[in-house]
Amino acid sequence: MEFTGSDKYYLNPELRLIVNMAVKMEKPLLLTGEPGTGKTQLAFEISRTLGMPIEVLRAKSTIKGEEVCYTQDTVLRLNDARFGAGKTQRNVEEFYDYVIWGPIGRAFRSEERVVLLLDEIDKTESDVQDNLLDVLEETEFTIREVNEIIKAKIKPVIVITSNAKRELSDPFLRRCFCHHIPFPKPEEMEEIIKLHFPDVPQGLMDAALKIFYELRERGYEKPPATSELLNWIEALMISGETPQNPNDVPYLGTLLKRTADILSYRKVDKISGKRW
Amino acid sequence: MLTNFFYLLREYGIPITLHEVMDFHEGLDKGLVNDLDELYVYARLSMVKHVEHMDMFHRAFVYYFYGVDLPPVGENDPELFKTEQFQKWLQKAVRSGEVPKNAYWSMSADELMKKFWDTIKQQLKEHHGGNKWVGTGGTSPFGHSGFAERGIRVFGESGNRSAIKVIGDRNYVTYSADHTLSGENLRQALESMKHLKKSGPETELDLGETIRKTAQNGGEIDLIFRRELKDKIKVVLLIDNGGYSMTPYVDITRLLFSKLHNRFKEFTTYYFHNTIYRSVYTDSARFKPYPVDELLKKPRNTRVLIVGDASMAPEELAYGYGSIYINDNEVQPSITWLKKIRDRFPYTVWLNPIHESEWDLGVWTLDRIREIFHMEELTLRGIKQAVEFLNTRQEVL
Repeated sequence: MEFTGSDKYYLNPELRLIVNMAVKMEKPLLLTGEPGTGKTQLAFEISRTLGMPIEVLRAKSTIKGEEVCYTQDTVLRLNDARFGAGKTQRNVEEFYDYVIWGPIGRAFRSEERVVLLLDEIDKTESDVQDNLLDVLEETEFTIREVNEIIKAKIKPVIVITSNAKRELSDPFLRRCFCHHIPFPKPEEMEEIIKLHFPDVPQGLMDAALKIFYELRERGYEKPPATSELLNWIEALMISGETPQNPNDVPYLGTLLKRTADILSYRKVDKISGKRW
Repeated sequence: MLTNFFYLLREYGIPITLHEVMDFHEGLDKGLVNDLDELYVYARLSMVKHVEHMDMFHRAFVYYFYGVDLPPVGENDPELFKTEQFQKWLQKAVRSGEVPKNAYWSMSADELMKKFWDTIKQQLKEHHGGNKWVGTGGTSPFGHSGFAERGIRVFGESGNRSAIKVIGDRNYVTYSADHTLSGENLRQALESMKHLKKSGPETELDLGETIRKTAQNGGEIDLIFRRELKDKIKVVLLIDNGGYSMTPYVDITRLLFSKLHNRFKEFTTYYFHNTIYRSVYTDSARFKPYPVDELLKKPRNTRVLIVGDASMAPEELAYGYGSIYINDNEVQPSITWLKKIRDRFPYTVWLNPIHESEWDLGVWTLDRIREIFHMEELTLRGIKQAVEFLNTRQEVL
């Protein structure tokens, strides 16, 4: 079982090594890096190429921890207790009739090996992360209400992503393999573009990449990332234009999204336009 | 086996523990490492947990396996000239005649820099699969140990990747903790700033209370929701945006804090030039004054962060009528105003873009200001420490 990437996803050799090492070691793989470096995409790619189903947890700041394993639908149970379960075949006495499994619960209960993606884990509170950490390390959790342990039948391949919004705790990091994906270099970006648009003219490619990386250098609040670049190139291909001047970029709105960034871009334009 | 390497990593500042070493060895047992590339990738994967440490690892690895001492800066970074590695190389190069004695005058900085890096690259090439690795005379970490039995490839290329290619790139140098803030490591800085904030979900179902109420209601369901405490932290940011020395840092600082804007209950930025007198300014052009006396009326638990290089003429800080602005007839010396701010706000930190190592070079005003405020450098490490300082103070009060 070797992860090799597919024709839809550019995988650099280092990252390929890393994924395979983490899979073999059965360690959670924590991926950090700015948006657009393909962190989340990687988990889906592993799932696709290794033929494993994927369970996804999209973290939110309101997550408490337990509900990623399971939740008990208390309101429904209260309701059934009061008004009866009707024809639903739910039994108010039966705890498991009111359990809703979260992504971790589903992954652990699965009969086959799955990929478990915890997306943007940094959005959660740090004590939630600590709770998760025990669960992931032991690959088991306890259902408190009935004091029963749910243990993973087969250890899932765990991929965790973080946008570094909040620092993860040291014990959490210790139990993961951590990798920071650097922003793709121009050569790599070219590969990525070719995967999406196999017939970009080379002239357009070179010009677009040059301008793109120059704009990134200017330090905007939200620097353009891979997805913006892809949109931009698509727009350029449809219109048949080739950008020349980094200070006169067609379809600027596809690259810069924030008003402040667009304004500051225009200012640069003005200054270089009438230098004295 | 490789024990010295682990200690070297610690020397470079990577906090590895037995836990990481065990992880590393487990991987070796599973046969994950078959060549130098894989050793590099796996050692880093199992032992480096923070992106700030990635470049340190890189340097330690290159030093241990290639015998090349890389300076802690990127290839086009003029900070190179200050590094020990560069100084040593220059001395040697002058002695051997490779670089003319008066290099500083006859060669441009760019040329010198290029020459240094070319030498480094040449060294790396020569050491590709060098003696450390192959193991002559017992210097090799893999000499007689069981390493060879695991099938480490010692000679020749491995597949179509050459070790030097993976190892040669410095992808992580801008993330290093010593690096002054820049666009790239902004996110990391943000992470640590967020610790300032206490937060919690706004509402949640109070199950116990719901059941109690429902029972009291004779079984008629009565849902009770709980409200949690909200964040009450107020932050004031004072930025020195005057003078060329501060220019590079103003935008980045403002950007950093603008992202935090909505995370605090109240967040305000004021500007000053060099130091603070009776007024600070609400606009960056410093036209709209805001009296410091007003500022001092803000709640005592306001977090005050001052960003400035604390470097100016002594009289600007210590004399009455010291302001460099002619129409600013300020009687009280600036230092008095600074003390007022400190006394009012116990949670105050001064962040200085000048590196800590240069603080002791005798800038008089910097020393005086350090006596007044807790000072940290405007780097990731400094900001982390500043946040820590603010958090621990919180427990004292």
